[in-house]
Amino acid sequence: MGKTTLSKSFVRLLVSQGHEAVYLTFKTQSMSDNQTFGSDISKNGLREIALDLEECARGYIEKRISSRLIASWIVKTAFFRALVNMVPGFSYMIYLGKILEMGKENSQLVVVLDAPASGHALTMVESTSNFQQIFESGVVFDDTVKMLGKLNDPAYTKIHVVSLPSMMSWQEATELKSGLNQRTPVSVDIVINNYLYPLLEHDLDEIPPQLKEKALNEKRLIDENVTDVQCILPHSLKNSPEGIEADLVGSLSNLI
Amino acid sequence: MGPTSKPFEIFCGTGGVGKTTLATSRALFLAASGKRVLLITIDPARRLKDLLGLKEDAVGEVRQVEIDGVRLSALLMSPEKTIERMAASGNTPDLASNRIVQILSKPYGGMNEILSLVEVQMQFESGNYDTIVLDTPPGAHFLDFLEGIGKIRSFFDKSFVEIFAHIGEKSGKAGKRLFGLGIINKFVSAGVKKLLSYLQNVTGAKFIEDFVEAVQIIYQSKDSFLKGISLQEKLGEKSLCNWFLVTSVEQGRAQEAVELKGHASHYIHEDHYLLLNKCLENIVKDWSPVKTNLIDVKTTLEEKESGLKKKLKESFTNILEFPEVVSLSPAEHLHILTEKWKTYAS
Repeated sequence: MGKTTLSKSFVRLLVSQGHEAVYLTFKTQSMSDNQTFGSDISKNGLREIALDLEECARGYIEKRISSRLIASWIVKTAFFRALVNMVPGFSYMIYLGKILEMGKENSQLVVVLDAPASGHALTMVESTSNFQQIFESGVVFDDTVKMLGKLNDPAYTKIHVVSLPSMMSWQEATELKSGLNQRTPVSVDIVINNYLYPLLEHDLDEIPPQLKEKALNEKRLIDENVTDVQCILPHSLKNSPEGIEADLVGSLSNLI
Repeated sequence: MGPTSKPFEIFCGTGGVGKTTLATSRALFLAASGKRVLLITIDPARRLKDLLGLKEDAVGEVRQVEIDGVRLSALLMSPEKTIERMAASGNTPDLASNRIVQILSKPYGGMNEILSLVEVQMQFESGNYDTIVLDTPPGAHFLDFLEGIGKIRSFFDKSFVEIFAHIGEKSGKAGKRLFGLGIINKFVSAGVKKLLSYLQNVTGAKFIEDFVEAVQIIYQSKDSFLKGISLQEKLGEKSLCNWFLVTSVEQGRAQEAVELKGHASHYIHEDHYLLLNKCLENIVKDWSPVKTNLIDVKTTLEEKESGLKKKLKESFTNILEFPEVVSLSPAEHLHILTEKWKTYAS
């Protein structure tokens, strides 16, 4: 539904307004022998970071035991890899810890996270509290308490759920919003993307019946749920990802 | 020529492309042709629940559903229920009552993909179905499902030996119970002791103790987990499995479908299908707009779709197109898509 394009456009908007912002995504959850380290690149004026699980885990352990060498060894052991691979929620906790650390190092930085889809977003949000329950005490427990404090702080974190203007996509979005609301007190809003109706609304009698029905269904959905929608983004007539991103930048100001 | 039915039919793709609806329509089509079909969704979004009109209490249980007079079985994956079934079938009640296992097997505890492999295998072994249609999680999480096989194998291999070796040396308790001291001592290594002592500094000693206990309990059910591995061979067999990669015109991203195929190439055999959903071509092809703005709309919609098809044809041999369904009714969606499957079968 355009989550990645929207996230990148949002970063561009923030940067254009003078904020320091970065687009961030996770690399694969699995730890394998041939995995490369994470990347931090600037492309067409957009800073993109792809976090690498092993590197994040090593960095965390290094801070705790004050030894890069031993931390590197630990994350490469079969036991540690099997532990992280078998319990994927563990990786989310490692990633979220890294993001919070970035925020601690640079309090002006806005991290726009292109998060996992649907149910996996709930797994990510729930991972910290799950591991808090598992650890019960100790250094990691203390860190998860701190992480939850930040993640659940409405002044620090905000969540946007992206939906298409179709009934099934909307149902999934509201289900996700409800699930998020049960797990975190931070603001969760819904963004509608790819809204075709505004392009056709004055010419409804001149378009094919099925296209008209599609446009009117979209309109009905928006009208019935307008109070739950934070931002509506029109369908872009551009064909290239860059063109679509540029169109979106102009429509995203409601998110700030 | 469309796909013939096989014991496993797997639907994968990025989020929001209509994967669940297409998987459900395929299951309905197969059931209507007389097959005994089980439709499983391992996507935690559970859109299948809405499509089939199932209530929350149906989660984790195989339920009979009837749509348009066609009956099929459906299962919304629940890690917790799978753990309960594993505990019952393996006579290992501790598995379902262990604190850590309970937390990790919550609906969003993170073990959905791995336990799905076990569940699918258990359902296959029941012999109750001719075909199991699998609706997998979106995008990279589909790869987690596939990689679950390797994860299970590694977990029940080196790491277990290592950790039990350590326990065996430390107390002899757990090791004696499962392996006997002789084998345990064989695997004791100073490196493992060192590793766990470092980890204790980070996680606290209690976590290591609790986790080791959980691992010990999980190990008692290793046969169920390891059976999940046998799925890998079946899914790679042309005669046993149909692979359907789903993308949509709306998403307009050929590259993602191609990349998904590339990442999954170790598992997917070459005889797979690309399903292109939400095609608008038949809706707009006979439309001759006069106004400039409408010409722009038509041109953009057509160019996006034709460009996408061109790119997809470079990477996929078998492409099946499905139309955009504009109805608000999920039942209407299913009906139209099921009818489309019929045209590919004829």
